[in-house]
Amino acid sequence: MSPQNATSSRQQWVHLRDVLCVLVSRDFKLRYKRSVMGIAWSLLVPLAQLWVFYVVFHTILPLNIPNFTSFLFIGILPWNWFQTALLMSSGALVDNRDLVKQVGFPVAILPVVAVLSQAIHFLLSLPILAAFLWFDGFRPSLALISFPLVVLVQFVLTLSLSYVFATIQVKFRDIQHLLGIVLFLMFYVTPIFYDSSAIPADIQPLYRANPLVYLIDAYRAILMRGQFPASPALLVVLGSSALILMVGYAIFMRARNRFVEEL
Amino acid sequence: MRDAITVERLGKRFRLYHADRPWTLHESLLRGFQRLRPAETFWGLREVSFTVKAGRMVGVVGRNGAGKSTLLRLIGGVGRPDEGRVEVYGRVGALLTLGAGFHPELTGRENVFVNGVISGLTRAEVTRRLDSIIDFAELEQYIDRPLRVYSTGMQMRLAFSVATHTQPDLLLIDEVLGVGDYLFQRKCLDRIQQLKANGCAILLVSHEAAVIQSMCDESLWLRKGQLMSHGDSRRVVEEYLADSEAQVHAPAGS
Repeated sequence: MSPQNATSSRQQWVHLRDVLCVLVSRDFKLRYKRSVMGIAWSLLVPLAQLWVFYVVFHTILPLNIPNFTSFLFIGILPWNWFQTALLMSSGALVDNRDLVKQVGFPVAILPVVAVLSQAIHFLLSLPILAAFLWFDGFRPSLALISFPLVVLVQFVLTLSLSYVFATIQVKFRDIQHLLGIVLFLMFYVTPIFYDSSAIPADIQPLYRANPLVYLIDAYRAILMRGQFPASPALLVVLGSSALILMVGYAIFMRARNRFVEEL
Repeated sequence: MRDAITVERLGKRFRLYHADRPWTLHESLLRGFQRLRPAETFWGLREVSFTVKAGRMVGVVGRNGAGKSTLLRLIGGVGRPDEGRVEVYGRVGALLTLGAGFHPELTGRENVFVNGVISGLTRAEVTRRLDSIIDFAELEQYIDRPLRVYSTGMQMRLAFSVATHTQPDLLLIDEVLGVGDYLFQRKCLDRIQQLKANGCAILLVSHEAAVIQSMCDESLWLRKGQLMSHGDSRRVVEEYLADSEAQVHAPAGS
């Protein structure tokens, strides 16, 4: 039934990789075509956010967190990746209906394209973060080797939710707006401009139901304290993300044949 | 000769939703999740069986909504049949819609890469065939200009060129040739003949009886999702036209 059952599986992997490359680069080209500033725009947005939060929580309502610039930026960058990737991938099927209807197109790659292109934006802004860290007097430590692992956990988490939302969006076209509201609220229950330890002990268990808490704590542990992140918590996040990924992927694949009719 | 496609008792059921089915969660909540289930279903295709040998060109005729496009999609693996099965041997090339993944802001060249990879080629394969693709589409002068300056005909030429450069074992064409001018249509038909000579099977949906009768080795006639006849193109097209003619003259309501 597969249109390419004549080609070898190696050829299929090469093709999948190429589909990913072509679509991610199309995404970048479209975003920055005809814009003089080009890729700099994607760096300016977090810098503007950084500036606003810095003014609010350092000058107007001082939180007295040491090295606040670095602290804040470590919170903002992963959050932006998470937020933009989820919003983009929830429209992955509805916005790419011509691809969904294309013969032989691996539809399941669309959420991966969204999460990956936002991951690249995240990685591209890391040099600026490194500059802030250096300026605040932080130096790389051995703990840095666990940084890619935390990025991987965040990737799997975001991707797993992406499959779920992309599927729901086909049935309910306003889920993207709803997601926008949920993310807006979630921003405040994620330790971005404050530290997770500032949350009162009695609501900590509830607070820690948010997986992003562990991710941002982990980034800060690695980059600001030179410590390896608390691995059990991260492994739980990874494990539950993997579980959601399997379930999300399964419902996505079940629903994909309906997409063709409903899009 | 080996088979290119086997279709066995193929059936596809479509779901018809209420005209006012809520498409947002907001509305669904307000209406207590009413009307989300399909109002009714109908068979877009039913009990369709046939085989096509490699190197054969098969015309598909029938009125609008008879299931021609549905048949081509199912053969291409887009969507899943509700009954029966489709077996395709080898690589499928398809021109069901004009240029999937084409984006007006990208150049012709960039679009060839996107469309080529989406159509099943690897980047290396697109690179190797790039000159030939551009040459066939006769778009050398425009290839580095954004697609939005292309006419519909030029876009169609590019899309057709990519689709026929995927070296398919089976090519599905759905009523898109009409966009090109006469000369380019001739060129497309020549190209199709050439693919055919190399053993590629072709399924062509067209409303132009003359094209079907002169080019296709055999034809399928679909009516309301059912395969009415399959065989010699001249005979099948005549049957189809006679049936349409009979409906014109039939008293209203029958």
